[in-house]
Amino acid sequence: MMIVHVLSGQISLNFSDIVSAFNTYDATNTNHIIFFEFRIPRMTMSILSGSALAVSGMLMQTLFNNPLAGPYVLGINSGASLIVALTLLTGIPFFTSDFGLISGALFGALLFGSIILYFSFYIRSNVSLLLIGLMISSFVGALITTLESMSAAEQLKSFTFWSFGSLQQTALNQLPLILFGCIVGFLGSFLLTKPLNAMLLGETSAKSLGIHIRSFRIWVIAITAILTGTITAFCGPIAFVGLAIPNLTRMLFQTQNHKYLLLGNLLIGGIFMLTCDTIIQLVEPYFVLPINAFTSLFGAPFVVYIVLKKLI
Amino acid sequence: MISLKSIEVGYDTPLLSANLSLELGNLYALVGKNGSGKTTLLQSIIGMIPSIHGEIILDEKSIHAMTNLERAQKIAFVETKFMGINYLTGFEYVAIGRTPYTNALGRLSDHDKMQIAKSLEIVGITYLSEKHTTQMSDGERQLLQVARALAQETQYILMDEPTAFLDYSNKRNLIEKLKKIAHEEQKCILLSCHDLEICLENNLSLLIVSESEKKIEFRNNASKEEILQLAFS
Repeated sequence: MMIVHVLSGQISLNFSDIVSAFNTYDATNTNHIIFFEFRIPRMTMSILSGSALAVSGMLMQTLFNNPLAGPYVLGINSGASLIVALTLLTGIPFFTSDFGLISGALFGALLFGSIILYFSFYIRSNVSLLLIGLMISSFVGALITTLESMSAAEQLKSFTFWSFGSLQQTALNQLPLILFGCIVGFLGSFLLTKPLNAMLLGETSAKSLGIHIRSFRIWVIAITAILTGTITAFCGPIAFVGLAIPNLTRMLFQTQNHKYLLLGNLLIGGIFMLTCDTIIQLVEPYFVLPINAFTSLFGAPFVVYIVLKKLI
Repeated sequence: MISLKSIEVGYDTPLLSANLSLELGNLYALVGKNGSGKTTLLQSIIGMIPSIHGEIILDEKSIHAMTNLERAQKIAFVETKFMGINYLTGFEYVAIGRTPYTNALGRLSDHDKMQIAKSLEIVGITYLSEKHTTQMSDGERQLLQVARALAQETQYILMDEPTAFLDYSNKRNLIEKLKKIAHEEQKCILLSCHDLEICLENNLSLLIVSESEKKIEFRNNASKEEILQLAFS
C-alpha cells in the first residue's frame, strides 16, 4: 500500500526511481526530488494523521463512555479552526505564513484542550463535560461562520481551502516535529491502557478499582489535544476518522482490551487514510477531491456496510 | 472490621446517621425506603462521597487517609446493574477486578490469572469465561459482578441492590451464594436490598434505616412486622 501510494500521483514515478533515489540520490533528478520532497512526506502524513485521529477518537470514546464521541466533540478541533480562521481571515501577513498557520492551529487546539480541561476540574459527570464540549464546539463554529461572512473573497478562499484538509502541505523538514508529537501521543496512550480498560465499567467502578479519575481525565484530554492539534495544524480539520475508525476497529478486532484497540486503531487508521489518499492521487488528473470530503465519501458507506454485515 | 463512628452521610444535609461496626465472615443487608440514603451510605464507605460528620474506620485507618489504590485493595464495590459490554468476555470482565494489583501496563501475572479462575470457580460460573458479556442473562451478569469483586481480593465487598433486576429464583440463589462466600472466604459483605423475605429466610444481619429517626438500627433477629414498623411506617 505504501509503495502504491508513493508511485501514484500526477507525475508518474516508477519503482526503479525509488530504488535509485535511495541508493544514489541525485539533487538534479526531478523524480528523486519529487520522491523525497513530496511523496515521502505525503505518505508519512497519511499514515500518521489516520493513526493519530483514530487513537484520539478511541481515547474520547472510552473517556465519555460513548461511541459517538470523537476529537470533534470536545471542541479541540474547532479551537484549532477558530485560530486559523482568525489568522487567515484577518490577513495579518505574519500569521498567514505557513509557520504562523501551523503554530496558530496548534495553539488553538491546546487552548481549547485546556479550556475543557479546566471545566473537567469542576464537573463530576462526564456527560455534562461532553455537553459543554459540544456547546463550545457549536459556539466556535458560529464564530467562524460570522468571521467568514465578514471577510473578503480572497481570504475566504484560502480558509475554505485549509478547511478542505490536505496531506500535501507538509515539507520534509517538518516531519520530525509531527513524528515527535505523534509518538508522544501514542506512547502516552499506551501507558493509559490499564485505566482505559477499567473505565469500561464506568466512573464509579473505575474509582473503586483504584483509578484516579481526575488525573486520568487530564492525561486523556492532554494527549488528545497534542495528537489532534498536531494533525489539524498540518493537515487541516479532518473529520470522520476520529469517530468511525475506533468503532470499526472494535468490530473488526472483536475486543475491548485497549492494548489491542490501540494497535488496531494505529493500524486501521493509517491504512484507511493511506487508501483514501491513494485513491485521491489516482483520480487527481480527472478531478480534485479534498481529503476531508473523501474520508466520509468513501468511509461512511464502508462503515455502514460493515455494520450491516455484522447484523446479518 | 469497618467502624462507622457516629457518621452522618448525605450531600448537603445529612440523610441518615449510623454508629456501628461490621465484622468479617458476615453478610449484612441494608434495608430501608427508597431515597432513605442507602446508596449514599455505601458510596460514603467506599470514599466516593465525603461523609458530613464522624469517621469511617477501616481496620484502624480512616478511609479518607487512604489513597484510591489502598482503598481498592480493601473494599470492592458492585453497582446495581451491569449491562454488558460489546465483545468483552466474562474472563476479561473479571480480569478488570485485578486492576489494583497489576503493573502500570495492566499485564496479568500467573497469580492474577489464578485468582481470576478461582473467583469464577467459587461463584460457579467458569463456563462463562469465553462468553461475551452482552450475550449473558441478567442473572449471569450479576454473578459475574460477584466474581469480579472476589477477584479484587478484598476483605470487604459492598453491593448496591444486587437483586434488583433478578427473578425470584435468581435472587435466592445469589443471596445464598453470597452468604456462603462471606462465611467460607471470611469476607464482610454489605448489600442493600428490598427483598425482605429472602433476607429473613437466610437469617441475614440487618441494618435497618429507621424512618422516624433517620438512623441505622442493627438487628440480628427481627420479625417482618418489626422491620416494616421501623423502616416504612
